[in-house]
Amino acid sequence: MRRYPRWPIHMALLTVSVLMLLPFYWVVKTSVSGENIFAYPPSIIPKSPHLFYYVDAWYYIPFARYFVNSIVVSSIAVVANVILNAMAGYALTRDFVGKPFVLFLFLSCMMIPFQATIIPAYLITGRLGLLDSFWGLALPQCSTIVCIFVFKGSFDAVPRSLVDAARIDGLSEWRIIWKVMMPLAKSAIATNVILAFVWSWNNFMWPLIVTRSADMQTLPLGLARFLSYQEDTTGALYAFCVMVLAPGVLLFLLAQREFIQGLTSGATKG
Amino acid sequence: MRIRSALPIWCFLAPSLVIFLLYRVLPLAWNLVLSFQDWSPLKAARWVGLSQYEEMLFDDEVFWQALWNTVFFIASAPIAVLLALGLALLVNADIRGRNIYRTIIFISYPLMTVAVAIIWRWMFEERVGLINYVARSLDLVTQPIPFLNSFQWALPSVIAANTWQMLGFYMIILLTGLQNIPENLYEAAAIDGASARRRFWRITVPLLKPSLFLCFVVGMLNSFTSFDLVYVMTGGGPGRATELLVTYIYKLGFVQTRFDYAAAVTVFYFALLVAITWSANRLSGGNAGAVERD
Amino acid sequence: MHRRGLLKGALSTVTALAMPQVARGQASRKLSLLTWNIADQEQLFKEEFADFQKAYPGTEIEWLDKKGTELAAFYQTQLVAGTAPDVVDLQGAIWVEYAANGALLDLTPYLQAEPEFVRLFNGDYLASWRYDGKNYMLPFYIAKTLLYYNKGMFKEAGIFGPPQSFDELLAFAQKMALAEKTGFLTLNFDWLYWPLFKMNGVDLLTPDLKKAAFNTPQAIDVLARLAAATGSGAINKISWTGRWVEPNGAFASNTVGMLHAHSSSYFFVKGQGPWINADTLGVAHAPGFWATPTNHGFGISKSSKNPDLAWAFVKHLTGNRWATEFSRRRKLLTGNIAADTDGLALLRKDDPVAAQVLQTQLEHTDKFCGNWPLPFDAQLKDAFYPEIQNAALGRKDAKSALNDAERAVNRLLSRRS
Repeated sequence: MRRYPRWPIHMALLTVSVLMLLPFYWVVKTSVSGENIFAYPPSIIPKSPHLFYYVDAWYYIPFARYFVNSIVVSSIAVVANVILNAMAGYALTRDFVGKPFVLFLFLSCMMIPFQATIIPAYLITGRLGLLDSFWGLALPQCSTIVCIFVFKGSFDAVPRSLVDAARIDGLSEWRIIWKVMMPLAKSAIATNVILAFVWSWNNFMWPLIVTRSADMQTLPLGLARFLSYQEDTTGALYAFCVMVLAPGVLLFLLAQREFIQGLTSGATKG
Repeated sequence: MRIRSALPIWCFLAPSLVIFLLYRVLPLAWNLVLSFQDWSPLKAARWVGLSQYEEMLFDDEVFWQALWNTVFFIASAPIAVLLALGLALLVNADIRGRNIYRTIIFISYPLMTVAVAIIWRWMFEERVGLINYVARSLDLVTQPIPFLNSFQWALPSVIAANTWQMLGFYMIILLTGLQNIPENLYEAAAIDGASARRRFWRITVPLLKPSLFLCFVVGMLNSFTSFDLVYVMTGGGPGRATELLVTYIYKLGFVQTRFDYAAAVTVFYFALLVAITWSANRLSGGNAGAVERD
Repeated sequence: MHRRGLLKGALSTVTALAMPQVARGQASRKLSLLTWNIADQEQLFKEEFADFQKAYPGTEIEWLDKKGTELAAFYQTQLVAGTAPDVVDLQGAIWVEYAANGALLDLTPYLQAEPEFVRLFNGDYLASWRYDGKNYMLPFYIAKTLLYYNKGMFKEAGIFGPPQSFDELLAFAQKMALAEKTGFLTLNFDWLYWPLFKMNGVDLLTPDLKKAAFNTPQAIDVLARLAAATGSGAINKISWTGRWVEPNGAFASNTVGMLHAHSSSYFFVKGQGPWINADTLGVAHAPGFWATPTNHGFGISKSSKNPDLAWAFVKHLTGNRWATEFSRRRKLLTGNIAADTDGLALLRKDDPVAAQVLQTQLEHTDKFCGNWPLPFDAQLKDAFYPEIQNAALGRKDAKSALNDAERAVNRLLSRRS
């Protein structure tokens, strides 16, 4: 079938993998040994590794509470993203008056740095009465333009014949999205879910500004506790980072199969 | 054409549009208005016309340095995207263990930026950093390379760290894009006798244009979405070697309390990004790179 | 299909959890306190609040703690929104900015009404929070720079005792600079490096604070020598590019001869450097006894709805009882004389080196430098420091760096005065 040799691909990917994992290895190493990273020469094997930093990370902050808050906010963000972005992405595959303007508007909205919007965003959230609440935390993240375009790309790839057939069958636009488009855009859904999750999970600045009560804080805000002036908390800091990383990676592993080519293109054959 | 059928389309666009209106358009408008005023959090505003812009363009060498650094950052984005394209194609091949490779490449993306910044800062450290250690152990250099202490190497170093983190992101966008290319196109081309190279250039590349366009745009936006990384890694230093427009905006606003001046820089930055995107869009055929399907 | 059911279930759960909190019933009095990166003292604060609530029943106290880099963003957003915390803990010179912009309450009337209370505090430190003839803050905890030195490295290089002059400092540093080791490291935020200039007679601004006064042959010489020492490895480059973790981490790794930092560094360094004890760590004043203070003070927001209650609260936090407790637990100095005496006495038994470190903080308090009460301090730093970096890292020669700095500083001063 395939006529090209596999081993150069493996070589290339192995090299890349080593380079990608190297800094990551050091994060994990420090999280189990807490060594001063400025010690010279750098040691490859961790000295007397132990898992107590992970325990520390759990106890230094109200980890469970923050975790639950993050889960709630990210769930809202992910669900909203999938729905809203699919709708908008679908709309952009159709021709309508004002389409170039809307496309341009979406693109331009990406070009505004978040740092410049902090104060007005806070004031607006205040006006909406959503300060210090889950919806206040999640709302700005409920739709992202990158993901709209991801859906648009996948929807564009669906053959017109299918869509026209569905319309002739009398399906409403809403049902076309969910019955025709989405099943063929599993990869886009996976991308949306992963990105929306990672962005809302790791978001630091917005929760910092918009929450005040201690029990509304999300996980990244716990980070401050590990960057203290007085104590050395490097081991616990990295343990905390690894713990925060885990759900995102898990999600990616679960969604892996959506990225394998061939699985979803079956419907386009014949 | 049919006005009635346009209604559902606008309904579909509405929720997203509302969110962007609230959290992007209105804040931009706030910045725009503020850029023509002299204001501080507890004083009343005073209109000053173009004086903020005048100061920015004619009286501020930090602005120009930050602009230059930002342009450099933007210009380096395509390298990361092309690298990611190569990776996406490799992991898309029919080889064993591609799931593992994909996960390894992706795993750096969800890692908290603080951890990324601290580790890379250490790796680049002149005396005790890993890169210098390896380079000197292998006798590649005699003098340690002052990555983050050097004015020439600081920005490329930060960009390297940023690229490391972004590869995973570009990869999944491109993988999704590759998914959108039907297998039967390749098969038909193969039957017609097209070589792998032709199949790549005639089928893959054109049909990946939307995803590539998206990646390039995100790459360009990295010049401000990488804020956390730059701020923690170098804080804009040494000197102004890694000062980007976004770190300058943040410092002006929240360290120097000059929100009005920061607003002027924001408006300029926005206009610059829009101009670049618009030109890129025109060059790639309009419609955000989407390909006309038959 | 089962996906849709899952979706519905998730949506309803999440919506239920996300219901906006029921509006708080009329809390009779509510105070909010914003502190700067001191989250590890949660227990202490709980006790302090409980004690305060005994004297003022019905008071609700909200405690917020933010890291230094985010505190400004948080506080300013709250300022704009009109909900600034009643009591705020500020470090360094940022308070002048807020005071000048009308964000902080003038505490002078309160201080004048209670002279016995004022007498509880160290006068020199208290005076560092005067601006425009008014007092704005009370001391929370105080620190100033000192010189730590690595006795082991000193002995190896044949040096006895800490340097007594700038020349000696550079010479010692050069002697210890071999292979991976460097001789001297300084912190650079909040003007902490300024004693290096002040000990050579360099002033930043004229006494009326209207013009730059640092572009002198003396200053050029100092900067040139610092640059040369950095280039030769006598001064560690992290002095000019690091913030908190790297400089302290580097010293803790036993490869740096001297560290010029304030008292807080001791605890951080000790945590990362198991080699540190009374025999290996030396504690001294910088040559000339010049030091930059870096203090934390409590101020009251002008927008506070309960200023008198906030004042009572601040008195409570800085009064003898709790300042002593704070000093004991956190091993630092509070500016409250009785508390510090008590805390030091206790520390001498538990951790003599720490006591030595803190002792220096109370000596030579007439030799403060690096502290100019200007509302645009952040901009001043931004105009001046990058040029120092340029020169120290060899990008520009000292003369042109100081020329450029002078231009930038004067331009700033003329615009803001």
